Amino acid sequence: MAAEEAPRLVVPVQRSVTLRQTVDYAMAEVLAADGEPTVHFVFMATWRGGDPGTDADRDRAEALLDQIRIWARYECEEAGVNPETIEIETALIGLESYLFSPDEYADLLTSYAADHDLDRVVVDPEYSLVGHTTLLQPLEFELERSKLAIEEAPVDRPTRRDRLVSRPNLPRFLALFGVSFLFYQILGGFSGTFDLVTGIATAAIVAITLDSVSFYRDPTLVDSPKRILRGVVYVPYLLYEIVVSNLVVARLILDPRLDIDPRLTKVRVFVGSGFPLTTLANSITLTPGTLTVTAEDQELYVHSLAPFAREGLFDGSLERWVRFVFYGREAARFPSPRERGDTEVLQEPSDAASTDADESGGEER
Amino acid sequence: MIEAIRIGLIVVAVVLGLFFTFVSATGVIRLPDVFSRAHTASQADTLGAGFALAAVALTLGWEPTTVKTVLLLVFIFVTNPTAAHAIARAAYEEGIEPWTTGDERR
Repeated sequence: MAAEEAPRLVVPVQRSVTLRQTVDYAMAEVLAADGEPTVHFVFMATWRGGDPGTDADRDRAEALLDQIRIWARYECEEAGVNPETIEIETALIGLESYLFSPDEYADLLTSYAADHDLDRVVVDPEYSLVGHTTLLQPLEFELERSKLAIEEAPVDRPTRRDRLVSRPNLPRFLALFGVSFLFYQILGGFSGTFDLVTGIATAAIVAITLDSVSFYRDPTLVDSPKRILRGVVYVPYLLYEIVVSNLVVARLILDPRLDIDPRLTKVRVFVGSGFPLTTLANSITLTPGTLTVTAEDQELYVHSLAPFAREGLFDGSLERWVRFVFYGREAARFPSPRERGDTEVLQEPSDAASTDADESGGEER
Repeated sequence: MIEAIRIGLIVVAVVLGLFFTFVSATGVIRLPDVFSRAHTASQADTLGAGFALAAVALTLGWEPTTVKTVLLLVFIFVTNPTAAHAIARAAYEEGIEPWTTGDERR
């Protein structure tokens, strides 16, 4: 081979303090090469396309990609290279599903690279997934199966490895301050000036010290109150569900003629990772008869005490409600796990000879 | 009259709370394995403690302390499933197979 092969880079991007430097580094690599170098900047969506309320996320991602295109062109001009000679692409990927674990991001990136024949990944050291894990390690793991080369962009800023910690910002600070202050006043019984003053001091201390760890996503003036209101609507429904299934389970336990018929089941749920998934898993556990045993990405392993509980779980009303709370009314119109075929009973009755014959739907007592 | 209704509701809430706590205790004894017991053990917290706290709130009437009772309830509703889940997950990761119909009762 005469010259070094032209680099074909893929760069996962995200708003970060070292993004500009990463873009510059990738561009420098590309500009230094002969031939027909290629660079793709990809934004991996942490939300699912089409979910209501995600338009703003999408717009922000598109704006970031536009910005990167401008930077890239600028770098070309600085280097005196015609931008047309270099293939610079930007893409927003991962809209088909929620991305949960690092290896799902890695899979997505690997398959994108394969589709576009890219062979080298440049990662921003500040790149993080759902706010706490770095991408490099799982991606390196994935590499054992693919032909991609991976490198960390050399940037000035030392890499932070603090998990869960994000930079302070004002809306978060104010929200936390407000909640702490209100909580303090409730505990104190709204009793006068002394409590107001000490409350302000206490809330300020709480907000300053815990600001960086207490929110999963930044509160906003419109969305957060909406979500809280929808949560308030959800509570009575949840209470109703709890009382009804409590009564059924109470009967099951007290009536000697009835026996339980427990099974471990697996349900693939469609709610975002983190707080929404926790809410759903906890709601499932709160309802007697179903108990979330463990969660693997989007898959919940649920132990169910009796067929009625399984049916309720597979009908997915709780899942729909949680989608309603976090994504709004539109998102609640969603096929149930049963309709999607995302349900599975992991244990067949031990006395049944035909194991795989009947699917989860055809349960009889 | 209103007072009588209030006292009546308090009694109903206490009785219901006792009932669900009793059911839960029975369940823990009667059910066969750790997973099914975790179901019923958390019942005592949700409705058992739930109704008991509702009775407390009714007894106190409109007072700042009542708000605290409601807050207590909120915290129970958050921590209780978390604890149940922790137990179940620990059992699952230990490799304990959930009991199914036909297995021997322990």
